Amino acid sequence: MVEFERFTLDNGLRVIFHKDTTTPMVVVNTLYDVGARDENPDRTGFAHLFEHLMFGGSVNIPNFDRPLELAGGNNNAFTTNDLTNYYDILPAQNIETALWLESDRMLSLAFTEKSLKIQKNVVIEEFKQNYLNQPYGDLWLELSPLAYQKHPYQWTTIGKSIDHIKNSTMEEVKSFFNKYYHPGNAIITIAGNLEFENVKMLVNKWYADIPGKEKIIRKLPKEPQQNEFRTKTIVRDVPSDMYIYAFKMPGKAEKDFPAVDLISDVLGHGKTSRLNRHLRKNLELASDIESYVTGTLDTGLLIIMVQPDEAATLEEIDMEIWTVLEKLKASSIYEDELNKIVNKVKTSKAFEEQGILNKSIILSMFELMGDANLINTEIKEYEKVTPDDIQRVARRILNPKNCSRLIIQSKDHA
Amino acid sequence: MLNRKIAPKTQIITEIPFKKPEVISLKNGAKIYCIRETYNRTVRIDFVFDAGSLESSRVVAVLCGDLLLSGTDKKTSDEIEEAIDRLGGYLEVGTTTEHSRVSVFGLKEHIVKIVEILIDAIVNVTFDPKEIKQLIQEKRNKLEIDLKKVNVLAKRAFLSHVFQHSPYGKLSTLTDFKSTKKEDIIQFHKKNYLTGLKYLSIVGDLEDDQIDEIHELASQFDKNGILKVNYNYNYTPVRIHIPKSENLQSAIRIGKLLFNKKHPDFKKFLVLNTILGGYFGSRLMTSIREEKGYTYGIGSSVVQYLETGYFYISTEVAKEFKALTIKAIREEIELLQAEEVSTEELDLVRNYLIGEVLEQSDGAQAMMDRFISVNTFGLDLSYYNDLIHTINTITAKEIKNLAKQYLNWESMTVVTAG
Repeated sequence: MVEFERFTLDNGLRVIFHKDTTTPMVVVNTLYDVGARDENPDRTGFAHLFEHLMFGGSVNIPNFDRPLELAGGNNNAFTTNDLTNYYDILPAQNIETALWLESDRMLSLAFTEKSLKIQKNVVIEEFKQNYLNQPYGDLWLELSPLAYQKHPYQWTTIGKSIDHIKNSTMEEVKSFFNKYYHPGNAIITIAGNLEFENVKMLVNKWYADIPGKEKIIRKLPKEPQQNEFRTKTIVRDVPSDMYIYAFKMPGKAEKDFPAVDLISDVLGHGKTSRLNRHLRKNLELASDIESYVTGTLDTGLLIIMVQPDEAATLEEIDMEIWTVLEKLKASSIYEDELNKIVNKVKTSKAFEEQGILNKSIILSMFELMGDANLINTEIKEYEKVTPDDIQRVARRILNPKNCSRLIIQSKDHA
Repeated sequence: MLNRKIAPKTQIITEIPFKKPEVISLKNGAKIYCIRETYNRTVRIDFVFDAGSLESSRVVAVLCGDLLLSGTDKKTSDEIEEAIDRLGGYLEVGTTTEHSRVSVFGLKEHIVKIVEILIDAIVNVTFDPKEIKQLIQEKRNKLEIDLKKVNVLAKRAFLSHVFQHSPYGKLSTLTDFKSTKKEDIIQFHKKNYLTGLKYLSIVGDLEDDQIDEIHELASQFDKNGILKVNYNYNYTPVRIHIPKSENLQSAIRIGKLLFNKKHPDFKKFLVLNTILGGYFGSRLMTSIREEKGYTYGIGSSVVQYLETGYFYISTEVAKEFKALTIKAIREEIELLQAEEVSTEELDLVRNYLIGEVLEQSDGAQAMMDRFISVNTFGLDLSYYNDLIHTINTITAKEIKNLAKQYLNWESMTVVTAG
């Protein structure tokens, strides 16, 4: 059980506090309700570029990192398709340093041309290092637009192309900040060995005078029901082929999400999963096979990723994958197998909830989904899933007409 | 009215309240280290064996580690994995140069049963040829992918040169996989696992009788203390370039043979390393990422082995910036040798490093990791409060002298790939 308190300031800022007496450190986690899905289609990668600019100095403080380091702290941030998250970890007695820094960059940034120019370069190098210079690095650059035709999940957080980053202007940076970076669009979670009343007082001190703004109501194009099997083949300089199957599935806050998450575990999490047993172990057609869900807030994807054995053909593998999927749809899963999967989920969630940093991030994300208390109740939704649910949901999702398949062919084999 | 231009006051940390693990001796002489104050139901147990790649080829050690659950006379690998899965258990096996580690993760109510299944599997493994063949195929694929990455190529060339006279420089190659025989793996298992248990660590809120049961189960292994680490570590610097035209970036790795935390200068060197490339605001990050934009990241670090260690700087940069980056790195090093760091910068680094030591001691598992990382070198927890003392008292002059003594450019091996 993760206990916490909640309050909201007049300017709309939501605050969560979790007391943990076992640590000398405190975490200040700030989540902004903006991600790559909110970007202009001609400026993809912008939310992530913006995340970098948040470290380029704020209106009253020229440098973000140094004062935090002086207080014995450090920080990092990440951007997803759905949100942008910033966290600071520092000795509990120095918590005010983090509140001072975070509140000032919520108030306003310094917006210097130099910082924009340099961070564009840094992000372009990140693009090259992680997406272009790695074997299979461009997998998501290819798969996302195949699977999504209307919804902005069709591009990844790094963006569609380097040009979008290069062409970003200071005007765009400012208007993005005005639109998304304000108290009403943020959730702060503080965790550590502190007193609630003291936390409340300090948050009020540093955040209460930041002007509130109207929260933008998101109007994203809804991804239409897919009614066709899509497939695309690309040839790359990679040592072996890779096949990726992507099935549309409910978003993380939707009712059937736990069932699909469990289906992905039944199919391809660990060595005893069905796809692993059948294709890797028994038929020796695959050297690696796994399945997982993307866990996005809007329509997500259930992914099956296969690295074929050298001698295997696409036709063989394709046929055997569909055999496994059809079996899950045709006959009900035994209670026993389902219990095994739920037990594994319980263990991994218990470990995920260790440490104040993980707890803060999870609390913030659940609050974004509607209720931070999901951290305590989520597992019950997994326990409620029945074999009938698995079959019903599998029948709906694991269909060729709901599937996009990307074939990455090795240059050496092509 | 709130003045946002003034930083809030901060407090200095001079000591960390460390938690010392309980120590229990096994019949065979190996130790159990245990921290039980965890406040939830998670349990992690690590079994550490003298089964690193030093004593055999890297391939044999890695294959053996990954095959520990590949089946016994009585149970197939599927049955073993299935039994552990049912109890919600997770396993991780990692093989490094000097040892291997089998980590078990589970909830308190199931953990003893999971350990029982695990140890039975490890003790009685038969090394089914089909399992060996499949694993070799997987590992070869992974290595093939790795060998396309410039940072991997640079790292391999660097290690095989710096440790050319000792097994630390021995890396796995694609042909090693072909020549590996089942017999080699069996021999390695016998010597380095069955009689190679070094210690186990437990982090979890277990009852006394649960600890006793784990104690009993672990007594099936013997400890032989076979690990040999006294090699010839002679080192001569070189310049190496590995061409790889199809990549967009070049990897750079610069460094040299150094020492580990047993050396009297190690703690001071950590401060020097932090200034140079050990944190986000380091000289290298500031110059090469923040001011010049050549790279997404650059850093420096010290890797420690039982009897030695090495220092390295690594980065990936756009090809056209390769020479400029090396020049900038050299300038940063030479600046540290020529000028004393300012009080402001040194204070910053002191506070950052102490914060890092604190953070690395956050929570029960972290406390165990801190203990293991000194105990492995025959040191005790007083190391950390000594470290904090060094961080708080080192002078700018000492740092300059250290830079001259240990970071001489001519002593560095410089590797570029791509």
